[in-house]
Amino acid sequence: MRHYFNDLPKTALTAGYWLFVAYLLLPLTLMMSMSFKDANFIAFPIQDWTLRWYGVVLQDRQFLDAVAYSAFIAFATTICATVIGVWIALVVANEGIWGRAAIFALACLPAVVPGLINAISMRIFIRVIDLPTGTAAIILAHTVHAVPFVVIMALTRLRSMPRNLTDAARDLGADPFIAFVRVTIPYLMPALLGGMIFCVLTSIDDFVRTFFLGGYKPTLPMLIFAKVQGGMSPQINAMATIVLIATALIGLYAEYLTRRARK
Amino acid sequence: MQPVVHFKNVNKYYGSALAVENLDLSVEPGQFVTLLGPSGCGKSTTLRMLGGFEDPSSGEIFLDGKPITRLPPNKRNVNIVFQDYALFPHLTVSRNIAFGLELKGLASDAIHKRTSELLSLVKLQDFADRMPDQLSGGQRQRVALMRALAPNPHVLLLDEPLSALDAKLRQQMQIELKSIQQTTGKTFIFVTHDQEEALTMSDVVVVMNKGRIEQMGAPDTLYSRPQSRFVANFIGESNFLEANVTAVHGTVATLDWDGHVIHADVNGNRVVAGDRTTVALRPESLYCLPEKPKDRLALEGHIERRVFKGAHSSLTVRLTNGKELVVQLDPVALSQLHSDDVWIGWREQDAVLLRD
Amino acid sequence: MAESIMTPSRKTSPASAPRYSGWIGRLAGNPIYAGTIGRIANSRAVRLTILLGVPLVWIAALHIGPIYQMLRISLLENYPAAADGQNAYTLSNYRLFFEEPLYFIPFIRTLIFAAVVTLCTLLIVYPVAYYVAKVVKPKNRVRALLLLLIPFWAGELIRTFSVIMLLANRGAVNVLLREIGLIDRPIPMLYTYFSLSFGVVYLIALYMLLPLYSAIEKIPPQLIHAADDLGAGPWQRFRRVILPLSRDGIVSGCSLVYLTTVGVFAAPLLLGGPETVIFPEVIATLFHGSNDKWPEGAAFSIIMLVVSLSTVGLFMKIVGGRSVRLM
Repeated sequence: MRHYFNDLPKTALTAGYWLFVAYLLLPLTLMMSMSFKDANFIAFPIQDWTLRWYGVVLQDRQFLDAVAYSAFIAFATTICATVIGVWIALVVANEGIWGRAAIFALACLPAVVPGLINAISMRIFIRVIDLPTGTAAIILAHTVHAVPFVVIMALTRLRSMPRNLTDAARDLGADPFIAFVRVTIPYLMPALLGGMIFCVLTSIDDFVRTFFLGGYKPTLPMLIFAKVQGGMSPQINAMATIVLIATALIGLYAEYLTRRARK
Repeated sequence: MQPVVHFKNVNKYYGSALAVENLDLSVEPGQFVTLLGPSGCGKSTTLRMLGGFEDPSSGEIFLDGKPITRLPPNKRNVNIVFQDYALFPHLTVSRNIAFGLELKGLASDAIHKRTSELLSLVKLQDFADRMPDQLSGGQRQRVALMRALAPNPHVLLLDEPLSALDAKLRQQMQIELKSIQQTTGKTFIFVTHDQEEALTMSDVVVVMNKGRIEQMGAPDTLYSRPQSRFVANFIGESNFLEANVTAVHGTVATLDWDGHVIHADVNGNRVVAGDRTTVALRPESLYCLPEKPKDRLALEGHIERRVFKGAHSSLTVRLTNGKELVVQLDPVALSQLHSDDVWIGWREQDAVLLRD
Repeated sequence: MAESIMTPSRKTSPASAPRYSGWIGRLAGNPIYAGTIGRIANSRAVRLTILLGVPLVWIAALHIGPIYQMLRISLLENYPAAADGQNAYTLSNYRLFFEEPLYFIPFIRTLIFAAVVTLCTLLIVYPVAYYVAKVVKPKNRVRALLLLLIPFWAGELIRTFSVIMLLANRGAVNVLLREIGLIDRPIPMLYTYFSLSFGVVYLIALYMLLPLYSAIEKIPPQLIHAADDLGAGPWQRFRRVILPLSRDGIVSGCSLVYLTTVGVFAAPLLLGGPETVIFPEVIATLFHGSNDKWPEGAAFSIIMLVVSLSTVGLFMKIVGGRSVRLM
């Protein structure tokens, strides 16, 4: 039987998949397990286990401040990026507008420019327009970065929306703004929620833009970066573990939302 | 009586393509009017212009005597039932129906009363809290209809609303639509490409072709007195006889059809002896006799083909002048023919002259 | 009305009246609303202007603006302008790049590094994507994919940091090797090309995985079976059917990975060493601290942007993929 020969590649593929899973999960597992090490330095093997680093982290003002600051930036970024992104998607989805392919291409530009170049060009830009580095600059840069993803997600959903739906709302007495609020937004919502969570995650995760545009106040990645560079202790691992679990849960939820929206 | 809808010399171009040309149309209140025609004939454009979704390139549209040509759709007191229903997928049946009422700022109680009323009109009371995707096609159709009726529009527009339903359900909905129109007394403007649908429901049928009105009138008039070849062909079937007028007496013309003398109704056309015209003859208006009748005109012919169609049969008869006529006979008439040589005749009012 | 008879009516009849929205009616009827937003919304010209205005201004200002400013400053002699206010346009910042090996060599290194990383990622991820898309049963597919996605919800820094756990002198690998007696002294793996590539592949594998997966998943199974029936062996089948049909995925995956790798920043800072200095680090130093050389930095950024985008463009042209999907 010919199928006899097919088993060999199949086994190899299965093994390859699990090796890859191990490759992806092993470093993170090691990183998390180190957070339970009862010593002041990071090194294997782990002999004594403790939870005390979590206590230290949860009382660490610096960490809590960074969490709050990152959350605030992520929140503001998400709001701005969603508004702008949906707005651009509406233009691109509007068949009556000339040159919408070009608008779409330019809207996606920040997504293809390498991250560092993006950050540097923003750094130059805010100096030209006299905006100081700091919160506003970070939010601006994060928003520019997140907009293309919102545009793509909103556009995919908009294209699946029957055109008659807004016509029907208009017909029943809604002006275009009310039709948008009452029909288009609810229709977009499932896709938007997934896109918004995606914005939150990329903003919280971002290092390079914050590195160039940030002020003195550290965001979460900046804090972790500073701690990693200046002497290691399992406290960093505990910190990273908390962040990792939180973001993974948010990510899972986003994945669930987008899959449900696609149905 | 003042017409409820009046199109005055309306033209619509898409770029240089003509969609609707010189449209003059008045609709009386309370009528069920159907715009009938093949796809691309301008019927949907006409409807969308009335709904406010297309702007006429020129001309005026009046609703209740007031010009509405430049008003946006939300400011017009007309509502559309869309072809794909366009129910809001995120709202329940009752909220769908209430959509227009909410926008009018009605109190919650009043909205509830009106939606319940409308739902019971189509016997969907138990479905008030369902989502549209939990309904069958016919139920969606009814909800869309009620949603459009809820704000009490002057005119209800229906854009091929039955085309997505299967044949059986479509017939049932035709009857239901007509009865809803009669109970509510509303003016309905219905767009379809299905001639049977148009004839079944309408008070007035407007036949459109290439952006123009070919003919409008009551269904039976359109059927028995088609004005043009297009109408005679689009509604039912017809034989077309090209003949020369030899004499006109009152409303009856005598014609020479390649050597045969025939009579036809002038159908309002002004013709004089010597004109060449076309006569339309319905296959079912023809009768077939086994022998030459003594008292009236009949043409001799030979049956070339018989097609059995259930309730009736369709015969192709070749006449002695070489022309063919299609004749439709019921089984009783068919059983009286004992050979393939037959005589064909018709009442002179059943043959009508066309204007083209 | 046969239908409503046939459909069983709901047992729980709606006793409470459904809640209808009052605010939308109040809003629509509000004279202030009608005079402002309502009026704007009802006028097609104004509506179109506003609909178009905000996106166009945003894109012009913030998608094109920064790159334009970067280009402008890269052509300036001084930025900010010198004390005497003189500020001529010049190409000298670009000339510097080609004259100074200190800049030129890390640049070449970056391009080669990114190309190698892209190729490695493709070779590693392709079988995995194929496995998930074609070998795993459809009902388990989402789970198999999610298992691969989980690590990517951890941030860039946390993932980089976790690679240190693995590769450090007292990291898991070295400790393990010493325990089983293979080595006496830790192998220095961190701060080398090895650790850097290891970390970068770890960071970007997702960008390769998703496009490949969606491209391979779309290949109709009948085609693969047909090749099977025609007597093609596994290798033939892969080369003649699967590979060409997944070309779009390969092109998007490689483009995304390449562009990301070229601009990767945190990983070289944490995982790289003195001999792995790549171009992003060079550019960054020009903007920071005492090395405040913005025109040079801008010029180098432009060079990097142009070269990396045209490399990807050339690649797409040669391999012939239709489009790059971003996600």
